[in-house]
Amino acid sequence: MSVAALGAMIVHLKKFRKYVLPALAATLLLWGASTISRVDLGAFLAGIPRGITLFGHMLPPQWEDFPGLIGPALETVQIAFVGTVLGAALAFLIGLLAAGNLSPHRAVRELARGALTAERALPDLIIILFFVAIVGLGAFPGVMAVAVCSIGMLGKLFADAFEEVDPKPLEAMAAVGATKAQIIRYAVLPQVFPSLIANTLYRFDVNIRMSIFLGVVGAGGIGFHLVMSMRLLQYREAMASILVILVLVVLCEKLSDAFRRRILGQEVLR
Amino acid sequence: MNDIVLLEAGRRKAGQRYRRYYERYLWSGGFLALLFGWSMVDLGISARLFIEGIPHFLVLLAEMFPPNWQALTGGKVLWSILETLSMAFLGTFLGAIISFVLGILAAGNVTPSRAVREAARTLMAVERAVPTLVIILLLLVVVGLGPFGGMLALAIGSVGMLGKLFAEAIENVDPKPLESLESAGATKMQIIRYSVLPQVVPSFIANALYQFDINLRAALFLGVVGGGGVGFNLHMAMSLFRYADALAITVVILVMILLAEKTADYLRRKIIGQEVLQ
Amino acid sequence: MITVKGLSKKLPDGTLLLKDINFQVEKGEFVALFGESGVGKTVLLRCVNGLTVPDNGEVVINGDGNPQRINGKKGKELRRIRRRIGMIFQGSNLVKRLSVLENVMTGRLGWISPARSLLYGFTDKEVDRALEALAKVGVKHLAFRRAETLSGGEMQRVAIARAILQEPYLLLADEPVASLDPKNAEVVLDYLKPLTEQMAIIGVFHHLDIVRKYCTRAIGIKDGVVAYDGKPDVSPEVLSAVYGSRPPVWPVAAGQ
Repeated sequence: MSVAALGAMIVHLKKFRKYVLPALAATLLLWGASTISRVDLGAFLAGIPRGITLFGHMLPPQWEDFPGLIGPALETVQIAFVGTVLGAALAFLIGLLAAGNLSPHRAVRELARGALTAERALPDLIIILFFVAIVGLGAFPGVMAVAVCSIGMLGKLFADAFEEVDPKPLEAMAAVGATKAQIIRYAVLPQVFPSLIANTLYRFDVNIRMSIFLGVVGAGGIGFHLVMSMRLLQYREAMASILVILVLVVLCEKLSDAFRRRILGQEVLR
Repeated sequence: MNDIVLLEAGRRKAGQRYRRYYERYLWSGGFLALLFGWSMVDLGISARLFIEGIPHFLVLLAEMFPPNWQALTGGKVLWSILETLSMAFLGTFLGAIISFVLGILAAGNVTPSRAVREAARTLMAVERAVPTLVIILLLLVVVGLGPFGGMLALAIGSVGMLGKLFAEAIENVDPKPLESLESAGATKMQIIRYSVLPQVVPSFIANALYQFDINLRAALFLGVVGGGGVGFNLHMAMSLFRYADALAITVVILVMILLAEKTADYLRRKIIGQEVLQ
Repeated sequence: MITVKGLSKKLPDGTLLLKDINFQVEKGEFVALFGESGVGKTVLLRCVNGLTVPDNGEVVINGDGNPQRINGKKGKELRRIRRRIGMIFQGSNLVKRLSVLENVMTGRLGWISPARSLLYGFTDKEVDRALEALAKVGVKHLAFRRAETLSGGEMQRVAIARAILQEPYLLLADEPVASLDPKNAEVVLDYLKPLTEQMAIIGVFHHLDIVRKYCTRAIGIKDGVVAYDGKPDVSPEVLSAVYGSRPPVWPVAAGQ
């Protein structure tokens, strides 16, 4: 082998060193994670025929169950709806306090922002279990959990939106003799309104999914029925629940889209 | 005299017009308020419930403190933490691989055919519509209880979002490097490898790291339904009213999340940093 | 009407911007403030309505036989006084997403109870008055257009209508036509001038031909004090004295 070729190979090796170490680490991690997670390709492949049989057992879905599932499905949507509205309202107030240009004091702003960050750091499961522990089972803890879980994300988005408004109309309002509340209503709100609505609707979609899960821990809704059916091996009932859930999710997305267009789309026409 | 009548009619119309355009918001707002009120009543929620809950809240706090660190001995909780981390890690990894492939197939500028593109897009949209709860319950039947099912559920659950973002990123690449390679006679594979991927891989990795954070929290939920991980331990402790245990477990979970997010942040900065240097 | 005595204001870095400003303006006057850029004309205007707090001195407004000090007031009292002082800015400062009509009606906010304005909005009577104000500035036909669709000159006229609705004793204008072309500037000033029947106007202008044509009095600021206070057709010697080393270039006579 010529000196040039050997030299080229060494250069190549050095360059690969940058990738070899991370690759080794990654392989180690993957192997470790697979062992801990009990990854078992064999079991997976063996399970596939079981899965297909399962699917066979699930069809046709238990149509008779449908009417009975509408109540729980409605409950799921109601919990998500009420929770989102409450959460958005609280996020609005906290967002005002957390916005540098609207907050009464810098300390208040830091405190509000800190609270929002803290809420975002807490995993939602902990918040849900916490509320169930306080008030017991049912829809109430579900609603509280949805509301509180929404505050962190919505509050931050709202506060950021408030801080980004054009300050000149606010000054004009102050010059006119308006109170702080009037300034917020007539100069801030019109500027942030589309962003507020869009973010709240997005959070509603997220909360629908959370709401479905609430049923699992006893906080109401159709999630409970699904899990129960599966545990009792009542697969056709479970399929009915699954279908209802899918319809629910798609319907809510379409509704929130329609609502967004109705409230915000008007602007373009005017 | 006619002028005055016309003027008056004009004035009234202006007031009406102002009202009418306000009314659209009023209608929507009123409708929402009605829906809200009806939902509250239907769910049985009232301010009274809230007030009654406050003493329970204080009682709970009293029972939670101080946290029972003994609950962490014996390794069960710590093993569950490892399970949760592994599930999230592997699930994101697997999901990223699948999203990578699906994303390329779903991107209009690099996909082999329009049919393939539509199929890939539909697959991802369907996945986004199906709640993760449904996915995990089905998987549990196939592979049994435990973190394996949870990992698979997280992998599948990541595909919809990651794949969509990746496909969009690919479609938004600067087309000029592609064209210059194409005119130089490169194959599709080579074009993808040398002009598309360098532009989109950094954001893909950043999104995957973000998805890891999401999956870590989702893994907690999966533990409750049997998908392995520390969510199960926490749920058990709360259900058995062992609140001091629950607080200890919560602290460990928070530490886990903090460390995982810091690591993801570090990796993200390293990846983006490398790109900047290049 | 409005009396300014011994006004002084320091810049954030400590240098004294306004040293000792004294003047008095009555209803019916159209006063032009002129001077170098950065000499403190805008700061002076903002001290009058309290948007900026002066370090020393006092500003007293007397529109109805009841003299009231502006500086030092806070909260409700300050708002009470502010609603009697209108202000238009260089950029008109309208709320872009709202309609022209709504923008004008916000001029009444100082007079409306906060509770009612938050929930109910404005009454039909207020709508009428807003339309009248819009008619006075010639843009009534734009009442229901979104504010951002208007031209600069039209927006400024809407801002004037908003100020009119306050029924102010005094109107402050901070370079209201600086970003408009000469023709639109004249249109705006043609609507501004007649307002002097109900109020006093103090405006910052850079164009001498505007000052000569519309204003009744000119006040020049230099080195933190009033350097000139008199007829609007300012002589070139006074101009270079007030503007110091950098007299601005402008058309000295119409048609040039």
